[in-house]
Amino acid sequence: MTQERASRKKGSHTATVLSNVQAGECFWKLRLRFDGEAAKAFAGFTPGQFVQFDVSDLAIPSTDSIPTALLDGARRSVLLRRPFSFSDVTADGDTTTADLLYCIVGPASLRMTTLREGDTTHLIGPLGNGFAVPEGKRTALLVVGGMGLPPIRCLAKSLSVEHPDITAVAFIGSRTVNALPLEERPARFDEGLSLSVPTFATLGIASMVATDDGSAGHRGPVTKCLSHWLQENADRPREETVVYACGPERMLAAVARIANETDIDCQVSMERRMACGIGLCQSCAVECRVAGSDEIIYKLCCQDGPVFDAREVFFGADDA
Amino acid sequence: MTERFDMSVEFAGLTLANPVFTASGTCGYADELADFMDVDALGGFITKSITLKPRKGNPTPRIVETDAGMLNAIGLANVGLERFVAEKLPVIAHMKSAVFVNVAGTTIEEYVAVVERLADEKALAGFELNISCPNVKRGGISFGTDPTQVEEITRAVKKACGSKVLIVKLAPAVTDISVTARAAVAGGADALSLINTFTAMVIDIETRRPVLANRTGGLSGPAIKPVAVYLVNKVYREVAREAGIPLLGLGGIRTAADAIEFLIAGATAVAVGTASFVEPDCAVQIVAGLRDYCDRKKINRLAELTGSLDRPV
Repeated sequence: MTQERASRKKGSHTATVLSNVQAGECFWKLRLRFDGEAAKAFAGFTPGQFVQFDVSDLAIPSTDSIPTALLDGARRSVLLRRPFSFSDVTADGDTTTADLLYCIVGPASLRMTTLREGDTTHLIGPLGNGFAVPEGKRTALLVVGGMGLPPIRCLAKSLSVEHPDITAVAFIGSRTVNALPLEERPARFDEGLSLSVPTFATLGIASMVATDDGSAGHRGPVTKCLSHWLQENADRPREETVVYACGPERMLAAVARIANETDIDCQVSMERRMACGIGLCQSCAVECRVAGSDEIIYKLCCQDGPVFDAREVFFGADDA
Repeated sequence: MTERFDMSVEFAGLTLANPVFTASGTCGYADELADFMDVDALGGFITKSITLKPRKGNPTPRIVETDAGMLNAIGLANVGLERFVAEKLPVIAHMKSAVFVNVAGTTIEEYVAVVERLADEKALAGFELNISCPNVKRGGISFGTDPTQVEEITRAVKKACGSKVLIVKLAPAVTDISVTARAAVAGGADALSLINTFTAMVIDIETRRPVLANRTGGLSGPAIKPVAVYLVNKVYREVAREAGIPLLGLGGIRTAADAIEFLIAGATAVAVGTASFVEPDCAVQIVAGLRDYCDRKKINRLAELTGSLDRPV
C-alpha cells in the first residue's frame, strides 16, 4: 500500500466548524475543515461514502429555537453516533473542506444546530463504499428523493470536475416544495428539464423537479420524469448510460425497476439504522440477491454499501 | 516497553497482559477494529458468535437507541463455522491477545460440533458459551435460564474443549443468577462472564408497533451497568470466590472508572461492548485509564483490585 493510500484509511478524526447556518425551514448546512491526517483522509472521500458524527456531548438549543414538533423529545439523551454523507468535499493543500446538509428530525440533529464557528467535532470516516463511475459511460442520470440530495450533489460535482465527458441530468423529487433540501431556490420551478435548480445549474447540470403535491415542478413521482426522459432519449446507447439514486426506499425500488427494464446500469445508495458504521454491530442489514441463484442474503449497509448495484438489492416481496 | 505497573491478570490458567476484553457481538472478528486501534493491546478478544451453519439473522430494524443504551435484535447473524475457519481464523492467528470464540447454537450437539472443530486451533485461548442470547427463538436464552440445562450443556461442551478455557456467559434475567452460576461451575466451566443483555422493548407511538422487527431486543449500554455490577458482586460472593472461578464482568462499561467498579465488585477481567460502537478504540483507552488509576492510587498490581469491595483501602 502506498503512503498516500495508507493515510486515506478510515479512522477517528476531528474537524473544525467553519460555519453552521440554517438553509431552509428545517435544513442546516454545516461546513467543516479538516487538517493534517484528517485532511488527507477526507481528500480521498468518494461521493456516497459517509461519516459517523458524535453528537452526544453537544448542547440542547434554547427552548424557543426548538421546533414545536420536537419539544417533547428534545431532551432525550443521545448515545450512538449518527451517519451522514457530505454534499461537497474540497481538498486544498493541507486542508480539506466538507459541507454537510442536514435536516432536523430528532434530538441528535437538533443538537447539531448549536455548533458554532471554531467548535471542534468528532467523527469517524470516511466509511463505506461510494458511487463508482464505470468505464465507457457518457450519460449519468442522477435521481434524488428528498434528503437523498447531499451524496448526489457531491457526485454531481465529482462528475463535472473529473468526468467532463459525461453528460449528467438531475431528477429531484420530494413530497412538497418545502421538503426539498435546496440551499438556493430558483424563482420558479420549470415543468420540464432546465438549468433551474442552482445547486446543479452551477455545475452545468440540467435538472427537473417533481413534487407529490405539485407545489413545484412536475406533479407526481420523480421516477415518472426519469421514465419520460428515457423514452425521449431512447436513441442513446443504454450501455453508455448509468443511473445513480439516493432517497426513500420506495423510490429506489422504482428506479431500480426502471433501470432493470431498460437494461441500464444503476447504483442505489441505501439507508439503514446503524450503531457503529464499521461492521461491528451488524445492525444495518440489506437484503441482497446471490448472483445466479434465488437465494437472498443480508449484506451490511455500512461495509458492503451504502451504495449497491441496484440489480443486487432485493426490495421486497413484490420486487421484480 | 516495560510496564511500570503489573497490569497482568491470571484468568482460568491464562496470564493476560491486562484485564480488558472486547465483548462478543461488538467487535466483529478483529479486522474491523484494526483501523482504529492496536487489537494486540487488549488482554482478551471475544469474537462474534459462531454457529455451525451460517445465520442470516433477523430482519431490520435490528437496533433502536434508548435514553441510556440501545436494544439490538441481530439474531446471531454470522458467517458460520466453515467460513470462520477459512476467512477469520487466519486473521485471528496473528493476534497477541487471548482470543476466545463465542459459540452459539440451537441444540447441544451444534455447540459441541463447533467447539470440537476448533478445539485444536492454536490461535485460540478458549471459548465463550453463549447460552444467554435473547434474540433467537430456539437455543440461546432458553438454555441459559434453566440450571439443569446450563449444567448439561456446559458439561458437554467442556468435554469437547480439550485443554482450552471454557467461559460460560450467564443470562441476567433469572430469579437468582447464583443458581445458574453454580450450575455452570458444576458442569465444568473454567470462568463465567456476566451479564448478557436484558430482553426489552421500544414502541413506536405513531404506529403503535414495536420498533424492532423482532418485537424485542437485548438492552445494553450504560443503562444496565449498575445492575451488572450488582450481579457480578453477587456471583463473586456467593459462587465464584469459593469455587476459585474468575469472572469476566461486562454491561455498560465505557470508561476506566466503570471497569474498576467491576474489578472491585469481583471481576478478574472486564469486557467492553456497546461503547465500542461509539468509540471503536474504547477498550484500549480503558487500558490506559487503568494505568492512570494505578499510578494515582499507588497500586503496583492491578489484580489486587479484584473482589476488594469490602476490604479497607
